[in-house]
Amino acid sequence: MGLRSFFDRIEPQFLKGGRFEKYFPVYEMVESFLYTPKTVTTAAPHARSYVDMKRIMTYVVIATIPCILVGLWNIGYQVNTAFETLGPSGWRALVLDTFGIGFNASNPFANFLHGALYFLPIYITTLVVGGIWEVLFATIRRHEVNEGFLVTSMLYALIMPPDAPLWQVALGISFGVVIGKEVFGGTGKNFLNPALTGRAFLYFAYPANMSGDTIWTPVDGFSGATSLAIAAADGYQEIIARGTTWMDSFIGVVQGSIGETSALACFIGLVFLLITKIANWRLVVGCLAGMIGFSTLLNVIGSDTNPMFAMPWYWHLVVGGYAFGLVFMVTEPVSASHTNLGRYIYGALIGFMVVMIRVVNPAFPEGMMLAILFGNVFAPLIDYFVVQANIRRRARRDA
Amino acid sequence: MPDENQNKGPLRRFIDLPTDSVPKTIFVAVALCLVASMVVSAAAVALRPLQEVNKLVDKQINILEVAGLYEEGTDVVEAFSVFEPHIVELATGEFTDEFDVETFDGLAAASDPELSIELDDDPASIGRQSKYKTIYILRDDAGEIDKVVLPIHGYGLWSTLYGFIALEENGNDIFGLQFYEHGETPGLGAEIDNPRWKALWPGKKLTDEDGSLQITVAKTAPPAGDEHHIDALAGATLTSVGVNNLVRFWMGEAGFAPFLEKLQSGEIS
Amino acid sequence: MSQTRKQMLTDPLVDNNPITLQVLGICSALAVTSSLQVAFVMSLAVTFVTAFSSMFISILRNQIPGSIRIIVQMVIIASLVIVVDQVLKAYAFEISKTLSVFVGLIITNCIVMGRAEAFAMKNPPIASFIDGVGNGLGYGLILMLVGFFRELFGSGSLFGITIFQTVNNGGWYVPNGMLLLPPSAFFLIGLIIWAFRSWKPEQVEEREFKIQTVEEH
Repeated sequence: MGLRSFFDRIEPQFLKGGRFEKYFPVYEMVESFLYTPKTVTTAAPHARSYVDMKRIMTYVVIATIPCILVGLWNIGYQVNTAFETLGPSGWRALVLDTFGIGFNASNPFANFLHGALYFLPIYITTLVVGGIWEVLFATIRRHEVNEGFLVTSMLYALIMPPDAPLWQVALGISFGVVIGKEVFGGTGKNFLNPALTGRAFLYFAYPANMSGDTIWTPVDGFSGATSLAIAAADGYQEIIARGTTWMDSFIGVVQGSIGETSALACFIGLVFLLITKIANWRLVVGCLAGMIGFSTLLNVIGSDTNPMFAMPWYWHLVVGGYAFGLVFMVTEPVSASHTNLGRYIYGALIGFMVVMIRVVNPAFPEGMMLAILFGNVFAPLIDYFVVQANIRRRARRDA
Repeated sequence: MPDENQNKGPLRRFIDLPTDSVPKTIFVAVALCLVASMVVSAAAVALRPLQEVNKLVDKQINILEVAGLYEEGTDVVEAFSVFEPHIVELATGEFTDEFDVETFDGLAAASDPELSIELDDDPASIGRQSKYKTIYILRDDAGEIDKVVLPIHGYGLWSTLYGFIALEENGNDIFGLQFYEHGETPGLGAEIDNPRWKALWPGKKLTDEDGSLQITVAKTAPPAGDEHHIDALAGATLTSVGVNNLVRFWMGEAGFAPFLEKLQSGEIS
Repeated sequence: MSQTRKQMLTDPLVDNNPITLQVLGICSALAVTSSLQVAFVMSLAVTFVTAFSSMFISILRNQIPGSIRIIVQMVIIASLVIVVDQVLKAYAFEISKTLSVFVGLIITNCIVMGRAEAFAMKNPPIASFIDGVGNGLGYGLILMLVGFFRELFGSGSLFGITIFQTVNNGGWYVPNGMLLLPPSAFFLIGLIIWAFRSWKPEQVEEREFKIQTVEEH
C-alpha cells in the first residue's frame, strides 16, 4: 500500500487550492490508471453497471491482442522471407544479429521479435505524441484524461504500414487527436474515429509512404503489392495465381498494415467484444449485409473492363482492412449511430461504400478507411431520421 | 407647391420622381445596362489583341520548351519563328494544304464530324480523333530536318493530359516530352511535370530495329540497357498507365506512325 | 471621422473579418490558396472589386429603385469583375490560367454583395470605398495566411521561391500532399478561426443551447 498512501499524500496538492491545481488531470490519469476511480454514480435515475468507460476501453485493447500477435509475426515473417533472397539490411537486422536471434522465417519467435521491432517504435511514438496532446488539452480544459486514448493509440498503430516514418506517425496521431477529437470537445463528442482520421490525413498527405508496393514489407529492393492492388489491376484470380490462397488471406500471411492482415485474429477479437457486449451486433450484421449484398449484385452485373466487379464477397471479407475495420472501427460506439434501426443502416452504408470504393473508384484500391469515415459523418443524420420516424409513428398511433 | 414644379425642366422633374416609380425603375435599369455593357465591351475589345497574343505565346512556349529552346526571358515570337508548322493528314502521313496553318486547331477539329473519326479502339480515351494535326518542324542551319514536335493528348487518372513530344530527325529517338495541361493529383500524378521524370525520356527510342512500337511506361524493371522503357511514377500507377497508353496511341498506326515512316524514309524533308 | 475611417479599414482585418467571423467567401479561399502568388492576385482582384463596386453603388444609392436593387448591384459588380478578368488575361496570363473560373466567381462572392447591401446602400461613397478596401484586405489577409501554410508545407516554397528543397528534387523535405488539395484549406481556415477566437473571446457566438448538468448528491 506504499503506492496508495503516496497518492493519498500528494492528492491535496492537485485539488482545488493546491499547489499543482492545474495539473489535476495528470494526477487523475495516473491514479485512475492504477486504481478504480473514486467517483462512482450512486444516485437514481442512473443505471449502474460494472462496465464503466475504463472497462470498455480496456476490453477493446484486450480484443486487439490476437491482431497484435498475428500482425507482428506476419511482419517478421514477410521481412525474414524477403531477407532470404535479398539479404539482411537495416538497424533491426543489426539488433537481431547482436542478440543471436537470426532471421529464420520458420522460427515464429524470431519472426515475432522482428515484427515487434517494427511495431514498438510506431506504438511508442503514438503514445508519447498523442499522450502529450491529450494531457495538454485536459490541462487547459480542466477535464480528466480519458482512457479512450489507449484504444485510439492501439488501433492507430495497428493500421500503420510497418515502415511508416516515425515523424509521419507523430503528425498523423496529432491530427487525429486534435482535429478528429479535441476540436469537437474530446472523447464522447467526436463524430469521427480519431485513429482513422489520423490515418486518412497521412494517406492524403504522404501517399508515397502510405500506399504502393514497396512499403508493406520494408526491405530494400522488395516490392510486393497488396492483394487489393493485385485484384484491382488483374482480378482476384490473380491473387491466387501469385500464390496467395484464400486461407493465407484469412489467417493473415499477406502484405498489409501491421495489425489488419489477419481476418481470423480480427474475428476472435469480435467474438470477445460481442460476448462482453462492448460491440453492438447490429452494426456488424448491417456492415456484413451491406458488403455481401452489394458485392454479390456487382458479381451479377459483371463488367468487361473492370475485373474488380467479379470479386466475390468472401474475398472482400479477407483482403485489406475490411475485417479490422468491421471489428474495431464500425463498432466504435461514439461515432456510430445510436438507435437500433440506425445501427443496421449505418453498418449497411459502410458495407456498401467499401465495395463501391474498392470496385468502382480507380484511384483508391482500399475503401474501408474512407467508407467508415463517410459512415461516421452520416451517423447523426441516420439517427435523426430514425427518431423522427419514431415520433411520427407514435403521433399517428395516438392520434 | 405646384408653382415650384412648373419652374423645373423635364429632366429635373424626372430625377425628382420617387425612386420606386415605374418610369424611374425602367430608366435606371436601361441606363445602367447601357453603361455597364459599354464598359465591358470596351475592355474586351481593347484588350483582345493582347489576350490573343498571350494565348499564342503560351502554346509556343510549350513547343519551345519541349524542343529545349526555351529559357526564362527568351523572346518567344522570335524563337518560335524557326519552327515550320505543317498540317499532317494522319491516315496518309502527308502534309496537306487544305487548311490555314495559322488558324487550324487540331483539338477543335476533333469535335467536328467532318474532320474527325469516332474511335473504336481508344486506349487514350479521347473519344473522337481529328484526322488532321498540326506539327512543327525544326531545321538546322543546312535546312535539314533537325527535330519534329508532335501534339499528343489522352486520359490519365482524373483528367485529359495535353502535351507535346519532340523527336529527333530520324523520327524514332525521343528528344523530350512535356504536358502543358492536366489535372492530376498534386504530388503523385502531377509529377509528370517534374523535370527529373521528364529527364527519363530523352534518348529513348519509339521502335526497335524491326520498326515495331516498343516504348513503354511501366513499373517493372527493364532489362539492362533497354532503350524503350521509362520508369512509371512512384505511387501514380494510373497516371503512368495513361501516359503509356496515350504515347503508344499517338506514336502508333492510328496516330503519327505513317508520318514518322515517311520521315524515316526521307519522303518528307 | 478620421478615427472611424481608420477603423473601417482595420476592423475587417481581425475584429470583423469577412472570412473568419462572417464565414463568407469560403469557396474561393479553398480554391485559389495553393500558392501565394495566386492568392495574392486574387486578394487584389477582390479588394478592387469590393472597393469600386461599393463606391459606385453608394454614388447611385439614392437613385436605385428598391425593387431592382439586387439586380443593379449585381450588374455593377459583374461589370467590374469582367473588366478585372479581361485585364488579367491580357497582362497576367499565367495567373489568370490558374485562377480560371474563380475570377468570374468573384461575382458570387458573398463578401462583395454583402458589403454592397449592408454598407454601401446606406453610406456615402468615400466611406463605402474605404469599407470595401477594408473588407477586401480582411479577405486577402486570410487568403495569404492560408496560402502561406499551403505553399510552404505543400510545395516547400513561397511565392514560387524554394524554401525547403523537396525530396523529388533531391532535397530533404517531404511535401505534405494534402495541403495541395483544396479541402486542406478547410482545416486551415478552421484553425485560424480557432486561433482568432482564442485571442478575441468576444467573437465566440453564444451557445444555442446549454447542456444541463445534474446536480450532484
